[in-house]
Amino acid sequence: MPSFKLDGQDIPFEPGETIIAAARRAGVDIPHYCWHPGLSVAANCRMCLVEVLPPAGRKAMMLDVLEWDADKQDYVPAKKPKLVPSCQQAAGEGMEVASSSSEHVARARSAVQELLLLNHPVDCPICDQAGECRLQDYWLEHQGTKKRMHDEIVHKPKGVVFGPTIVYDAERCIVCTRCVRFCEEVVKDPVLEKRERGNLSEITLAPGRELDHGYTLMTEHVCPVGALTARDFRFKARVWFLRSAPSVCMGCATGCNAYLDFDPRDDTVYRHRPRENMAVNQYWMCDEGMLDYRRVHEGRLLAARVRGKKATLGDALEKAAGVLSGVDPERLGVVLSAQHSNEDNFALLRLGRDYLGTGHIYVSGRAEGLGDPVLKHADKNPNAAGVTALCTSTPPKTFAELAKDIHDGRITHVIALGSYSSDATKTEALGKLQGLVTLATREGPVAKHATVVLPVSSWAECDGTFVNAKGMAQESEKAITPRGDSLPGWKLVAALAKQLGLPMAWTKLAQVRKAMAPEAGATVAHATGAEA
Amino acid sequence: MLQKTTFLSHSYAKPDGHTLAAYESAGGYKNARKALGMSRDAVVDEVKKAKIRGRGGAGFDCGTKWTFMPKESKKPCYLVVNADEGEPGTFKDRTIMERNPHSVVEGCIIGCFGIGAHAAYIYVRDELHLSKERLWAAIEEARAKGYLGQKPFGLDYPVEVYVQTGAGAYICGEETALLNSLEGRRGEPRYKPPFPAQVGAFGCPTTVNNLETIAIVPTVIGMGGEAFCKLSTLAEFNDGGSRLFGVSGHVKTPGVFECSVGLTLRELIYDLGGGILGDKRLLAVIPGGSSCPVMLPEELVNVPGDPRFEPYNGKSVLDLPLGVETFRSVGGMLGTCCAIVLSEDADPVLALHNLMRFYRHESCGQCTPCREGCGWIERILDKIVEGRATLDELDQLHRIASDITGNTICAFGDGAAQPVLSFVKKFRKQFEDYVLTGGKSQTKKLVA
Ligand SMILES: Cc1cc2nc3c(=O)[nH]c(=O)nc-3n(C[C@H](O)[C@H](O)[C@H](O)COP(=O)(O)O)c2cc1C
Ligand code: SF4
Ligand code: SF4
Ligand code: SF4
Ligand code: FES
Repeated sequence: MPSFKLDGQDIPFEPGETIIAAARRAGVDIPHYCWHPGLSVAANCRMCLVEVLPPAGRKAMMLDVLEWDADKQDYVPAKKPKLVPSCQQAAGEGMEVASSSSEHVARARSAVQELLLLNHPVDCPICDQAGECRLQDYWLEHQGTKKRMHDEIVHKPKGVVFGPTIVYDAERCIVCTRCVRFCEEVVKDPVLEKRERGNLSEITLAPGRELDHGYTLMTEHVCPVGALTARDFRFKARVWFLRSAPSVCMGCATGCNAYLDFDPRDDTVYRHRPRENMAVNQYWMCDEGMLDYRRVHEGRLLAARVRGKKATLGDALEKAAGVLSGVDPERLGVVLSAQHSNEDNFALLRLGRDYLGTGHIYVSGRAEGLGDPVLKHADKNPNAAGVTALCTSTPPKTFAELAKDIHDGRITHVIALGSYSSDATKTEALGKLQGLVTLATREGPVAKHATVVLPVSSWAECDGTFVNAKGMAQESEKAITPRGDSLPGWKLVAALAKQLGLPMAWTKLAQVRKAMAPEAGATVAHATGAEA
Repeated sequence: MLQKTTFLSHSYAKPDGHTLAAYESAGGYKNARKALGMSRDAVVDEVKKAKIRGRGGAGFDCGTKWTFMPKESKKPCYLVVNADEGEPGTFKDRTIMERNPHSVVEGCIIGCFGIGAHAAYIYVRDELHLSKERLWAAIEEARAKGYLGQKPFGLDYPVEVYVQTGAGAYICGEETALLNSLEGRRGEPRYKPPFPAQVGAFGCPTTVNNLETIAIVPTVIGMGGEAFCKLSTLAEFNDGGSRLFGVSGHVKTPGVFECSVGLTLRELIYDLGGGILGDKRLLAVIPGGSSCPVMLPEELVNVPGDPRFEPYNGKSVLDLPLGVETFRSVGGMLGTCCAIVLSEDADPVLALHNLMRFYRHESCGQCTPCREGCGWIERILDKIVEGRATLDELDQLHRIASDITGNTICAFGDGAAQPVLSFVKKFRKQFEDYVLTGGKSQTKKLVA
């Protein structure tokens, strides 16, 4: 691979690649606002300027400027090299680039930074971006001087409601056009545009439109400053109190890589945002996915229930064992869940198929929805492929088939993971069962009909593996401690097995994974890259 | 050397000079007919020999620019004629459109042929209503005569010429902003590369030329590139032929004059412009449109080590022939060759303030340094002229302008910085007087 030198360090590059992109791959961050690896180049912020040294024997292009000489009390002519934006300049073999090592670059960046803050409200205490704002970070890193413009700033519209999810503050906007380009290039819905000129420039909506496509929170997320804020997150948290766990989105079979941002002090998840993985979601997530973190807190099933009454976990496990013991395996159905991890499903499969001896395996999950050409999959479950792979030779039967089998009296008892029914018109059949044990995270039709309900931790509360539609097994890590009385699904299955006197003595996730390994043949995909 | 010519201006005094009949009676359209009978290379060669430096302000050699166009192209190629003419102090293209529009149409035919295009778009500043009207009429007349269309002059090289109106932004004169505007997009400059010859109008190879550059091309074909070039006394500076010179401001007879290249500022101001109003002293002159550094008559040419400058060294810049290279070498800029003259009655502080209000208003707002810098400069100047500024603020002006210089997408940034840098350097005392005394000793006038 050809390479160039950046501040003396060798940086390999693909032909045609820009300096900033190659540097990023090599783990070197050149400061930037308008550039985003997933968007076209705008080269408007000028933060990424670098000095490209002329080839040996050639002179640098020099520009005439002025300095003030305090001794002479007069201006003196000065020269500076022409700098180039590294987001636009293609790297060249043997090129020598000075970024952090050039005094001219340092001055230019300091000037850009000062100019960006010139008319900025600097209202960080009431800005949700505070703590993850480039204006803050770069002020310290590249400017560090006090404000020299003491007049009233240029005032522009504030608190402009762009749509159901996003609010815009034109005074905080640095007009980098990332949001405009994202809507146009990724979402293919050019709903944002720039209006006015010069220092009156601002972002505006297309006439008669709202920012209401399927990627509005992502539009907010590409904004490098606090100009766009998400109504869902506004004034809810200070990001420096949040910790992030690498997760996988539960919204659909695409399995976007994400971070769950949570506050460890109150064990609450506040945000779901994308984690770069070029093989899956690149840099993006959809609105449904970014709001899906709400399922961690809403509609949860946090305590065990026996015949509709709250119970302790111990009692419930005892009752559940009672429901299941002595059932004719030919009449027992096992319902796996495309909403749950491989580990949870594998544990239940091991119990039902291998220990209780039934061959009647079904799968439930959320009903199909709409997909789109960007990311969204019509299958609204994160692990349908994982469940299918676990079942190896015979694929699991559908929820509709379960309803029919119950109806025909072939199935009298069921142990189910998850509470989704896949098909709302078929749930009534569950009422005919003589016994139903449900291990569920949320309230739902299956839990409603259950004899015994056992509370399962959500994906945010435990580690788990999910296989997306492309067949990639991806790990999602624990963020918060299990809520209420809930336990990871596999743990509850192991506890139930113990009640039933079966030798399924798993106490650690690693044991489950070891036992599962040959079945879940899919490879684990790893996230790539850093923050854009 | 003052040498008047009439290649473009021969029709200016005639009331019907803009008509096809008048144009043809002066030999019009012969040269387009001749060009279409030559090879494309031969046409480009003549234009190269003519050493026409682009008349739009940047002074790029026209023939060389034409050679950047692909010899073979799967996509159509376009000629785009820049008639946005928004530079303060510049009003020469307008005279051609109003009074000799057929030279533009004929130039378009030759230009299209030279670059392998079959369509030319003339992008005209919207406010120039008579210009548009005259161009439209000229195109209609030429088409009716069979000079445009499928077979101009019966020859097998289709050419169409269209007029596109701008939407009132100075920045749309910058060639890539113009292309965006032409395509119906926001008029914002594109970054280069790619250059228009690679990716221009509608993503196709395009040559953008100033209107005067195109209008003079028929003359070049008619008299031959070399002969045209020799009209100039600056041929050894690769600056050939003749061109339009404008002069405005505090002169007795402002206007547009066609002369051989080689004219000096002194000749432009005193001989053509009739001298300073009220026979006052000349304070300063901005040689070519507002984006050039202001120059003082006391400034002397001093370019050691270049024999070409020997005749001028030690003389006032007023006596240096107006050329792209000559002015670049003395830290100036020729620009559009339309000088703005300030008499001693004019207040240079107000003059800069006036200019910077324009640049703040016209910055397209893409680049941080230009967008915010121009506004900051304007604001400091507001305070200076109101007597509210501090010396600290005065000392920020050159710094802001220096930080804009070279750090932007298009040349607007440099064009806005040049006046600031040159005015504060050359008129520091006057600026200080405003800061310290509210400008007690200044004229506080712009109009003489
Ligand atoms: C801010 C700005 C404004 C410009 N305005 C004009 C204009 O009004 N007319 C023009 O011909 N060139 C203008 N130019 C120069 C054009 O970008 C371009 O160089 C020119 O049209 C090329 O033609 P030429 O080579 O024949 O001069 C402008 C440049 C800048 C940076
Ligand atoms: S709203 Fe944000 S992303 Fe959009 S232009 Fe402004 S600063 Fe950039
Ligand atoms: S596309 Fe699917 S996986 Fe990705 S964020 Fe949206 S719902 Fe989540
Ligand atoms: S230099 Fe000014 S006018 Fe030119 S692109 Fe940048 S902001 Fe726009
Ligand atoms: S990152 Fe904005 S100019 Fe390069």
